[in-house]
Amino acid sequence: MDTLLELADVGKRYGNGTLAVQSLSLAIGEHEFVSFLGPSGCGKSTVLRLIAGLSPVSQGTITWRGGAPHRDAHALGFVFQEPTLMPWATVFDNVWLPLRLAGRPRAAARAGVAAALANVGLAEFAGAYPRELSGGMKMRVSIARTMVSRPRLLLLDEPFAALDEMTRFRLNDDTLALWQAQRFTALFVTHSVYEAVYLSKRIVVMAARPGRMLADIHVDEPYPRQAGWRATARYNALCVQVSQALQAASAAQADAGAGHG
Amino acid sequence: MAERGEPGRAAPGAGGTPLVRRRWVRIAVPLAAFLLALAAWEAVVRIAQIPHYILPAPSLIAATLRDNFGSLLPSWLYTLKITFLALLLAVAGGVLLALVIALNEWVELGLFPFAVVLQVTPVIAIAPLIIIFVPSTTAALLLCAWIVAFFPILSNTVIGLRSADLNLRDLYRLYRASPWQTLRLLLIPSAMPYFIAGLKVAGGLSLIGAVVAEFTAGAAGKETGLASRILEASFRTEIPKMFAALVLVSLTGIAIHLAFNLLSRLVLGHWHESESRGER
Amino acid sequence: MTSIATKFIAVAALLVGAAAAFPQEKVVFATNWKAQAGHGGFYQALADGTYKKYGLDVEIQQGGPQVNNRPLLPTGKIDFLMAGNLLQSFDNVKNGVPTIVVASIFQKDPQAIFAHPGQGYASFKDLVRAPTAFIGKDGQFSFWQWMKAEYGFRDEAIKPYMFNVGPFLADKQSIQQGYSIEEPLSIKAQAGFDPLVFLLADNGFSTYSTTIETRLDMVRDKPETVRKFVEASILGWYNYLYGDNKAANALIRRANPEMTEANLAGSLGLMKKLGIVDSGEALAQGIGAMSQARIKDFYDKMVKAGLYKPGEVDLSKVATTQFVDKGVGLDLKKKLGAR
Repeated sequence: MDTLLELADVGKRYGNGTLAVQSLSLAIGEHEFVSFLGPSGCGKSTVLRLIAGLSPVSQGTITWRGGAPHRDAHALGFVFQEPTLMPWATVFDNVWLPLRLAGRPRAAARAGVAAALANVGLAEFAGAYPRELSGGMKMRVSIARTMVSRPRLLLLDEPFAALDEMTRFRLNDDTLALWQAQRFTALFVTHSVYEAVYLSKRIVVMAARPGRMLADIHVDEPYPRQAGWRATARYNALCVQVSQALQAASAAQADAGAGHG
Repeated sequence: MAERGEPGRAAPGAGGTPLVRRRWVRIAVPLAAFLLALAAWEAVVRIAQIPHYILPAPSLIAATLRDNFGSLLPSWLYTLKITFLALLLAVAGGVLLALVIALNEWVELGLFPFAVVLQVTPVIAIAPLIIIFVPSTTAALLLCAWIVAFFPILSNTVIGLRSADLNLRDLYRLYRASPWQTLRLLLIPSAMPYFIAGLKVAGGLSLIGAVVAEFTAGAAGKETGLASRILEASFRTEIPKMFAALVLVSLTGIAIHLAFNLLSRLVLGHWHESESRGER
Repeated sequence: MTSIATKFIAVAALLVGAAAAFPQEKVVFATNWKAQAGHGGFYQALADGTYKKYGLDVEIQQGGPQVNNRPLLPTGKIDFLMAGNLLQSFDNVKNGVPTIVVASIFQKDPQAIFAHPGQGYASFKDLVRAPTAFIGKDGQFSFWQWMKAEYGFRDEAIKPYMFNVGPFLADKQSIQQGYSIEEPLSIKAQAGFDPLVFLLADNGFSTYSTTIETRLDMVRDKPETVRKFVEASILGWYNYLYGDNKAANALIRRANPEMTEANLAGSLGLMKKLGIVDSGEALAQGIGAMSQARIKDFYDKMVKAGLYKPGEVDLSKVATTQFVDKGVGLDLKKKLGAR
């Protein structure tokens, strides 16, 4: 598998002195589904923002194969924890946004927007306003918007945390289906062990204060993964293993905290 | 797999919109309250035999208004002219300055203190100075009305431009939006609710500014507004006429209020919480 | 009882009796401008105790550029009101407002229009040509209306008079209103020249001025109070014009700190020279004199000018001469050695 991007000794210190990420080194391969798992404050969202170019690194480098995608506005997609839709615009106009900003007029973008909406099952809601949609539907519009520009790398920052469990499970499956169909690389931030195990090929476990990687766990289950897999012993064993790694992360954090206490 | 919203909360009453929200109720009740107050006023004046030069009855005011409408109408139109022209200029100035300030912090540091000084200085204190120094009295009145109307628009629009959702701003940055695109597609729509709120305030203030300025100036040549009519009536102890002119001022204020409420509903109705009505 | 106690009780009774014999009735008198020499007689009667001697506890409320005291009289907030001319009294009667004029301190209205010398304004008629006329609010709704009707002055020329001579000084072609006993002094002091003075009274505006107005119910129910106030005020004016007016001027300057001693002295001199107060009928009948004939004559002039319709104002209700024309104060004038 080819490497898509490589983080070498990447660190981020904020203006107020907080060390959000300390010396992270990591390689992400093409078409991988990688989860970042850790307690709050471990820097997982910060890592995503650094990769997206929304924040500059304080140290280290991020290298991309084939050059930084920062020249190509369409190579990256970002799904926030909130749906982040423009409330004054229709669903169509919200999904059209990435293409519109790149200069594609409405008529030319119509097909792409329709396809993206169909992919998330919201084709007949193109004329609705965000206010009329439920939380889950808004999140799917957000995903459709991200997909409309066919990104190489999709960054998702705890996108389903605010939704109820049934909607979350459904969106998990939808995300996996999209990933299989479109063949992008996915970086998924979550605090849920179960979600990380269900979705990912790789789980990067992080600890907080300062943010750093503690474990890089491989999840062997082949794709496509069905909902039934959640009930298997193999799944639960994996969850236990990852949980233990997470507890070690919390303990490491407590030690670090005690050290500075 | 389509869902659509949560099931609506059970409405009180026999299913459907509650009584207090029905369109006809919202018009009839305030109107009835107002008419009741007028009737009480008329009754008190008649029963207590209050002389017309102390407190005229509504019937007398109405008759005075009808008899003097010919001379009051041009004054009313003049006051309307000053009010709306000042408001237009306040919107132009306020929005332009807000755009400049929101996009450039240096400009904000330099200009904002002047804007604040302008706002806190009571216009009734600077009106005499303005009237002395500005050659045309109409221009002086416009300036006074503009000063009071300008600041709410400026202040609200600046806040509005800055209130764009942070995640949306990140999104625009991610997609390499140009500053002009960000302004047009994100900042301006985000600022709309705040701008309209400022506009509602400025509309009423513009009328007040025009009237206050004219009170200070007195009549000003051929064209005079309602304030001059009120002054004239007060100097001549024509109290019913004073009230008649005041009625016209109040009607103008109400009309402005209603007009901007309608504007707010048209622009924001389809998406902003402030205009949401009915069940969720 | 001992003789000392008796004397004590007797003195106490005398004092109580004295106090009872002079109860101080509170009245409020509002003027139409800030305190100046043109109000001198009233402040004099207050300062030298004349009002007190008549049993009146008088409070003088100033007017001013932004103040309109007129509505206070019919509503009962004040008892007596100073009016600048008869037009406003005509309006009150026309509108059924129950007030009445009881005395006229000025026999001549000092209202005048001022112009810069050397601008070609030779007569009052020439002033119509002036491109800018600074007229204040009160004037706009009274004597300006007469100027428009009688001489053809135009509203387009009006600019609000903010009671600051600066704009007039700056614009040589402009004209402005003022009192012939006041503004020439401040203009001379500020700009060093004597302005041309066009007295309205010399050009047909023959109104009484600085009149005392009161409510009809005062005349009907408390005529003694009205009489006391009018007579005490008349005596105050004689003392101010011919006697020691230092205390009155001090009161005026306390009420209006911008007034100067020089201004007060100059104004008093002008009042005498121009025959504003003690002239005409006042010479024989005492200050405050009024005649119904002159009121009618002025009204007819205003009808001719188009300000009123004939018979629109019931002249019998405008003024009453029951409190003046009695020669009050003439002996005081002789005593003060005035000519």
